[in-house]
Amino acid sequence: MVIGWGTGYDPLHVTPVFLRGLEDVSRLIWNPLCVQNLTGYLVKGALTPPLEEGKKIGICVRGCDSRSLVALIQEKLLSRESLHIFGIPCRGTLDVRRLMNESGLSQIRSVTIQGDHLVVQNDEEAHRFPLERFLARRCLRCRHPNPVIYDELVYQPITPRTAPEDAYRDVEAMEARSLQERHLFWSSELDRCIRCYACRNACPLCICQDRCIAETREPRWLTQRVNLPEKFLYHFIHALHLAGRCTECGECERVCPMEIPVTLIKEKLNQITRDLLHYEAGLDPEALPPLLTYNPNEAGI
Amino acid sequence: MRIGVFVCQCGTNIAGTVDTEAVARRAMEYADVVYATSYVYTCSEPGQQEIQRRIKEMNLQGVVVAACSPRMHEPTFRRAVERAGLNRYMFEMANIREHVSWISTDKEANTRKAMELVHMAVAKLRFNQPLFSSKVPINKRVLIIGAGVAGIQAALDCSDGGLDVVLVEKNPSIGGKMAQLDKTFPTIDCSSCILGPKMVDISQKENVTLHACSEVESVSGYVGNFKVQIRKKATYVNWNACTGCGECVRKCPSRKAPDPFNEHLATARAINIPFPQAIPKKAAINRDYCLHFTKGKCGVCKKICPVNAIDYDMQDELVSEEVGAIIVATGFDLFDHSVYGEYGGGRYPDVISGLQYERILSASGPFGGHIRRPSNGREPRDIVFIACVGSRDASVGRPYCSGVCCMYIAKQAILTRDHLPDSNCYVFYMDIRSPGKNYDEFVRRAQEEYGVQYIRGRVGKIYPRGDRMVVQGADTLLGIQVEVEADLVVLATGVEASAGAGELAEKLRISYDQYGFYMESHPKLRPVETNTAGVFLAGACQGPKDIPASVAQGSAAAAKVQALFARDAIETDPQVALVNERTCVGCLKCIMVCPFGAIQSKTLRDGSIKAEVLASVCQGCGLCNATCPPKAIQLQHATDNQILAELNILCA
Repeated sequence: MVIGWGTGYDPLHVTPVFLRGLEDVSRLIWNPLCVQNLTGYLVKGALTPPLEEGKKIGICVRGCDSRSLVALIQEKLLSRESLHIFGIPCRGTLDVRRLMNESGLSQIRSVTIQGDHLVVQNDEEAHRFPLERFLARRCLRCRHPNPVIYDELVYQPITPRTAPEDAYRDVEAMEARSLQERHLFWSSELDRCIRCYACRNACPLCICQDRCIAETREPRWLTQRVNLPEKFLYHFIHALHLAGRCTECGECERVCPMEIPVTLIKEKLNQITRDLLHYEAGLDPEALPPLLTYNPNEAGI
Repeated sequence: MRIGVFVCQCGTNIAGTVDTEAVARRAMEYADVVYATSYVYTCSEPGQQEIQRRIKEMNLQGVVVAACSPRMHEPTFRRAVERAGLNRYMFEMANIREHVSWISTDKEANTRKAMELVHMAVAKLRFNQPLFSSKVPINKRVLIIGAGVAGIQAALDCSDGGLDVVLVEKNPSIGGKMAQLDKTFPTIDCSSCILGPKMVDISQKENVTLHACSEVESVSGYVGNFKVQIRKKATYVNWNACTGCGECVRKCPSRKAPDPFNEHLATARAINIPFPQAIPKKAAINRDYCLHFTKGKCGVCKKICPVNAIDYDMQDELVSEEVGAIIVATGFDLFDHSVYGEYGGGRYPDVISGLQYERILSASGPFGGHIRRPSNGREPRDIVFIACVGSRDASVGRPYCSGVCCMYIAKQAILTRDHLPDSNCYVFYMDIRSPGKNYDEFVRRAQEEYGVQYIRGRVGKIYPRGDRMVVQGADTLLGIQVEVEADLVVLATGVEASAGAGELAEKLRISYDQYGFYMESHPKLRPVETNTAGVFLAGACQGPKDIPASVAQGSAAAAKVQALFARDAIETDPQVALVNERTCVGCLKCIMVCPFGAIQSKTLRDGSIKAEVLASVCQGCGLCNATCPPKAIQLQHATDNQILAELNILCA
């Protein structure tokens, strides 16, 4: 089986596709609307049948997705040998929700890429949107557009748009605000959370699934009460479970129906991990994530 | 649950600054509390009986005692509730003495804090479960790492007690630093004459297995059942055949090999036996200097060895040993005085370390026991000793006292005056530390009978003038600068942790302090134990020590091992991690972070992977619990629910 992207219920909405034979290959597409990180399907049971002996599973990955694979391989949740990785250097994917909100389009017939514009044809006319203006936040700060691990590279590698020193500019901008402002910001953002757990479900590294501590009564870390402290606690548990592991693929933020910038919390933890432990997640399959080791001589702490 | 609360007054220790009656009255309001009282000395016999009486009378299911630190009396009270029929883990202690009454005199605030601590203990107790320990058999063999005098003493005492001993020594011979000494203070016994018989004993004990030239490679397992890998380093001489005749040493043409036993005052042959009394008395090849290894020719030793013991193809060998306890006796190293630029930074041949001077004094040393200057071999007339070189000096990272230097310089000065009655000895010192039996008398003899001149003050500089050394320092008693011209300067180099101490500590999972000395479990009350069950300490690896103290600790460690082995099985501590298999997602992050190798994976019949804790290996540190995302792994007696219950009370 190969996991890739295909056209969804309209040409603007791309959906994961699972190719089971040669006849399915025509369903595969690649364009800036291929927004999903597919690697979660490899570890989150149900959708992927167990591998037959000696068979591999194919998967299409962008730069960010490939880092998720590295993290999963590091944690022995995936074996490199069981994968055939199609790596795709990626110039960035779009924030489809923002495009829909701003354009108010419906009845979409076709979508094409013309140069650096997206052309959307609906019942009435063709609408042109500059790609650059609708890139997702995660893509604007992308440092690894090229897959870090692959068996086949589909296009030529491209130059990263963000320098490493600019990687955490969103976090820095947030920290430039006063403590009170930040508290107000997060209170109002997280208060919108409806605890739908989409962020958790989309995260390829959140592997507890139905054992998630947010939904169990044992141990009693969280209740199901809908109030701000519970929402805060949920989001910080989610972030801390990803500390030193999160590869900043931004899926949690993309899928949030309430448009809460939840990846920003994880970015802060990654910034700390970088500064304190000199580690960036998901780059070297042989490396050990620093928070998954015991080293009494840990430098930096 | 029916909970009883006992608030101890500890005489006035607690009641002086805490209203214990009020704490008890308030406790009656907490959920599940059916009885609360304040008592003058809860740990006393009547105090314990009161607890037991109330358990029966009030049908209590759990007990909280608010008193001192659980490190003091938790075992006392656990036994008390057990005698009344409760499980010993249905007991909680609130520390309202060290954490409350002793640290503040504000009675109102203290009382409030004591109430909160009691409330937290009650809240936790409501989630307590009876816990039971299991028994594991003990392997009654003991590993001793390091065969200096402490390790030798421990080995002999264990061996005399009928235990099988595995003795590992890094160097080719046992004996350690003591074997390098000439005489010992305060009795001026010949060091090798008193150590020698003990070394010979080791070689003759049938139940002592000696691995010399060997190091511990890895340690796994737990108290009663350790598995140890020992690396026997290649000596290129088959020690089963070698008779120690020394023919090869005499004929070896490579004469420039370092001689660490003589502290590099002499050179050795590339094939060498470190000293005449060595145990085992076997030759070993230094491959960096052997012409066979460096130039590919020679082979003289192989040709002349009467028993064909030379084996140039020898490889390191890994030996596995299984033991029930480990005694660490890895000793110390000497401070490297070359960091003191003002003392010449190790560049002047006539400025030497204390241990080098021992070798000069020793009859088996490089000068046959005649005191000579290393530079020109002439007899010195003026000899200066400088105390505290690498001791009590925070600027070189050694703020501690090495404990032995004051005594060894006094001894060396006495011996110098004995050997060379016309010589002048000067000692620059900061303070004289001589608190042992007959020690101060000994130092006084050096000053009064042997005419050694003691000058109180630091030396600022040593520099050459002609072929002599000028020692410039202060006499702080007279308040003047002094300058002494000397033929020989002996630095009383201090004691530091042995090289590689940290590495070994990590293999053994014991802790060490900032200077690399191993940490005892309690500085006063558990000086021989480490915090890893079944691992004990002996000698200077735990901190600077002289010979009597090292020997005493060697015997003490042996006694601890004998006490441990007096039982056939040990009870495991049930306060360990436990996996809830229904919630474990098999991510096995717990295995990655466990410092003790106490977690393994297992596959259930449905093919799912789960973590499994080896209860007897687990030390209950809780790292796995902190790492486990679904919190499927819980530390018994400190579960998330118990901690959350306490937090909820505190934050309510």
